[in-house]
Amino acid sequence: MEYLFTTANVIFFVIAVLISVGLIELYFYLHFKLYDKKYYIIIPVLSLVFFGVVISFLNIYSTKILIYFAIWEMFFSYLCVRYVKGKNYLPYMLIAPAVIGLMMLLLYPFLFEIYLSFTDLKLTTIMQWKETGKLPFVGLKQYINVFKLPPLSETTFWQLFGRTLLWTFSNVFFHVLGGLLLALMLIEIKNLRGVYRMFLIIPWAMPQVVAVLSLRGEFHSEYGFVNIMIKKLIAAFPFLTQLGIGPVNWLSDHPLLTCTLINIWLGIPFMMVVILGGLQSISQSYYDAATIDGASYLQKLKYITLPLLKPVVLPAITLGTIWTFNNINIIYLVTGQAGGTERADILVSALYKAAFVYNRYSYSAAFAMIIFVILFLITTSYSKMIKVDN
Amino acid sequence: MADVKFINLKKSYDETTILDNINFKIQDKEFAVIVGPSGCGKTTLLRMIAGLENITSGEILIDNTKVNELPPSKREVAMVFQDYALYPHMTVKENMSFALKMKKVNQDEIDKRVNEAANILQLSNLISRMPKQLSGGQRQRVAIGRAIVRHPKVFLFDEPLSNLDAKLREEMRIEILKLYQKLQTTMIYVTHDQIEAMTLASKVIIMNKGKIQQIGTPIEVYKKPNNLFVASFIGTPTMNFLKGIILFENQKLYLKSHDKFFFIPNFAFPLSDKYINKEVILGIRPDDIILDDSKIDVENKVEANVDVVELLGPRENVHIRLSSDKTICATSHSFNSTPNSKIIFSLNYPNIHLFDPKTQERIN
Amino acid sequence: MNKKLKPFFLHLFIIIAVIIATYPLIRIFSVSIRPGDRIISTDLSIIPDGASFISYIKLFKETYFLRWIFNSLLITFATSFIGVSLASTAAYAFSRYRFVGKKWGLQLLLLSQMIPAGMLILPLYLMIMKLNLINTYLGMVIAYSVSSLPFSIWILKGYYDTIPHSLEEAAMVDGANELQAFYRIILPLSTPALSITFLFNFTTAWNEYLVARVVLYNPQNYTWTLGLFELQGQFITQWGMFTAGSIIITIPVLLIFLYSSKWLVSGLTLGSVKG
Repeated sequence: MEYLFTTANVIFFVIAVLISVGLIELYFYLHFKLYDKKYYIIIPVLSLVFFGVVISFLNIYSTKILIYFAIWEMFFSYLCVRYVKGKNYLPYMLIAPAVIGLMMLLLYPFLFEIYLSFTDLKLTTIMQWKETGKLPFVGLKQYINVFKLPPLSETTFWQLFGRTLLWTFSNVFFHVLGGLLLALMLIEIKNLRGVYRMFLIIPWAMPQVVAVLSLRGEFHSEYGFVNIMIKKLIAAFPFLTQLGIGPVNWLSDHPLLTCTLINIWLGIPFMMVVILGGLQSISQSYYDAATIDGASYLQKLKYITLPLLKPVVLPAITLGTIWTFNNINIIYLVTGQAGGTERADILVSALYKAAFVYNRYSYSAAFAMIIFVILFLITTSYSKMIKVDN
Repeated sequence: MADVKFINLKKSYDETTILDNINFKIQDKEFAVIVGPSGCGKTTLLRMIAGLENITSGEILIDNTKVNELPPSKREVAMVFQDYALYPHMTVKENMSFALKMKKVNQDEIDKRVNEAANILQLSNLISRMPKQLSGGQRQRVAIGRAIVRHPKVFLFDEPLSNLDAKLREEMRIEILKLYQKLQTTMIYVTHDQIEAMTLASKVIIMNKGKIQQIGTPIEVYKKPNNLFVASFIGTPTMNFLKGIILFENQKLYLKSHDKFFFIPNFAFPLSDKYINKEVILGIRPDDIILDDSKIDVENKVEANVDVVELLGPRENVHIRLSSDKTICATSHSFNSTPNSKIIFSLNYPNIHLFDPKTQERIN
Repeated sequence: MNKKLKPFFLHLFIIIAVIIATYPLIRIFSVSIRPGDRIISTDLSIIPDGASFISYIKLFKETYFLRWIFNSLLITFATSFIGVSLASTAAYAFSRYRFVGKKWGLQLLLLSQMIPAGMLILPLYLMIMKLNLINTYLGMVIAYSVSSLPFSIWILKGYYDTIPHSLEEAAMVDGANELQAFYRIILPLSTPALSITFLFNFTTAWNEYLVARVVLYNPQNYTWTLGLFELQGQFITQWGMFTAGSIIITIPVLLIFLYSSKWLVSGLTLGSVKG
């Protein structure tokens, strides 16, 4: 029964979203269209009343929001009469639903995080906050704490930062290298290319949770495939032990390496496909010209392939950097269970743990802001570099 | 069926003015061709008639109704786009009936009109194809068919032939002309190709840099170009221009240019008094340079050397070197010129064009 | 290199890569059909002795597996539908119109991609808690619905940009208004891009784990990601059921992905529509 109920709930919600999109459009339409009529004043008043009724009916927020809405209404009506004046208002109506959605579910949470980062919300103060709705203001204390107190039980911010850089750049490097090598080999193969390509993108196509969790199993010290193979190799070639090769406790001794290996496996296909697409778009005539000029394979690679791949690969690298930097999934899924190690944690996974394992909410909000700034700086300097290059 | 009138029309984006002071009228059932180099504002003007561009100031009247504020859908004009703009996801038939569906015409009427248009344009057997499956010429026909089915007040053509190859372009030009004769509707046609303008138009509007240079029948603009721009834009090979000083010696008028003297009879230059000892530009079409011995004005002939000769089949273009940095082009049908040989010629005096170098306007 | 040896080595290397890429999936399959008493073993054979589907049967009998899949499907479809419909119109405005705040809007959409994962989970959690939607599908749908919106808008804008403006202009001259031109001409033409965006929204929500972890706590309401993770607890991993579940989840996803991979790749740099 409950099953049906919740399903109906979701369907109802989708319909409700559609209705509210309709209402939003109507709201804007009336404002934009009737701005020069004498009875225009009715429209803002009506929408204010309507909004008030909906708010009290849903019983979600305080009446404070009504005051905000009234202010908005005044501002918006002024805008319509003064500036929009029935000019082409269609674009505003087209973006309005998306903008409102993003404001409620992206911008508001973001601003709320900023607010949290200046207060002190943790497990001990959360009940007080629920009852009074008030939080003590602590200024920049949380930001200072991020650098002074370790975000996890013992790993410090700077250790996490270094690990994140190492993680991001080693991953992206091997993704590009692996993708490039595979793509260069695939482009040489005329028949069977489609079949190979299909198999090679399986790691990308597999649901990440499945891939990561099962690969984690393969790194198990006793029953994992990796160690079984190492043991079999040693049995076959005993001299390998003298070289220091032996079974490794991957998950407990080298968690970050394990995560990196898993992520490299996952990420190569995307780069391969992007680079292959780029390679296919390079005209054969460049290579023909270079062959006539007597260029070797490596010279062609250096002077033709790589420069012409740049416009395809650089954006992919930027995206890949953001994705890798922001990749909680792998590390959390590999090390995240109760009692999991924290020696593989990078900034974003530590952020998640700080909030939901250690319940230091305000602290993690400040931590998140710092990570945001770091990511922003890395990405902008990256895209600047790309622009300078071009 | 309608006439189109422009009153003080102006168009500007931000600070730059695209069109200025456009004032003219296209009569009902007239085939008007707006011609000019790219960037002269001709397409903008057409799009303003269609309602795809805002009007900065001034008025456009279609059938004596001001249409400034009307959206494109209410103007009852049809337009053929340069890239045809066929809807890629619809068949030929759906493409042609889209406008009628928008107007909520009933299905029988739609079928009737689409079939009629398809017959006129020989599209009947392509009616269920997708645009992707058609050749360039066929797409062009569909685009025209889409306009025909609507029975619009005015047809607008935006460089419709520029995406076709040379041979097809000639064929389609004739088709459009036939269509015009059949439909007898006002047509406004924009092109940068002066040959299209000359062959199609009953009225030519020549534009440059956002201003109208001259309006007239093809013969008028060819015979009496208003200014240097029109003179150089219309006609192939291009008109020759000689810059020089007007001299009055021995009761005779001469133009001294490149150390040669070109005789100008009085009837060709009534205003000569004002220009004696002043600079003017003489324009002469290659066809109006007489090389034929029997017709040359022997008394006032000019002597020069042949530079190169281009053989074109029925005629040849003889480039005559007047000085080290000036050659002029003449057409000949006698095929007896050889490079570097001596040549004598004279001008066909009734067809001399004289321009003021400062105002660039015609002065005779 | 020798002319005959070169293709041989090429194929050899590629085949090794193919094995590395596919082996984990094969392993999952072979573990899933191991008989109940030998699930944990160091056996490497692909089809184990005494292979059986006992784990699959156990999975359906002993867990809420079907329920999890249903939950995931419901949440995912709802969010993708909302996401694509909001993105398709917004992207159109960004592609075709000049309006105040356009440049800023696009920049902010890009900027939102740099918000670290996990940063918004806490406020979203608090919001869902306030709305009394903890442990409900609805809470999940709300939390997910705009998460892929910025990226979707960018993809769709890129696609709309490749459609010549003359198509809408032709439609408008033909008697359509601006909105009709959009939904009768542009939307039908954008089906490939819309499918890609849908697929993108779908996979993001389908594979999401962290928000679900926080919002859902009742095993009946789990999405499949949570369910599988639970099966693989730190100390007692239900390997048999875990691998069986993984196979059931992976195969359809894999098929859809392989089928659509051709567009999916070009989707990021979609080519032009030639009419």
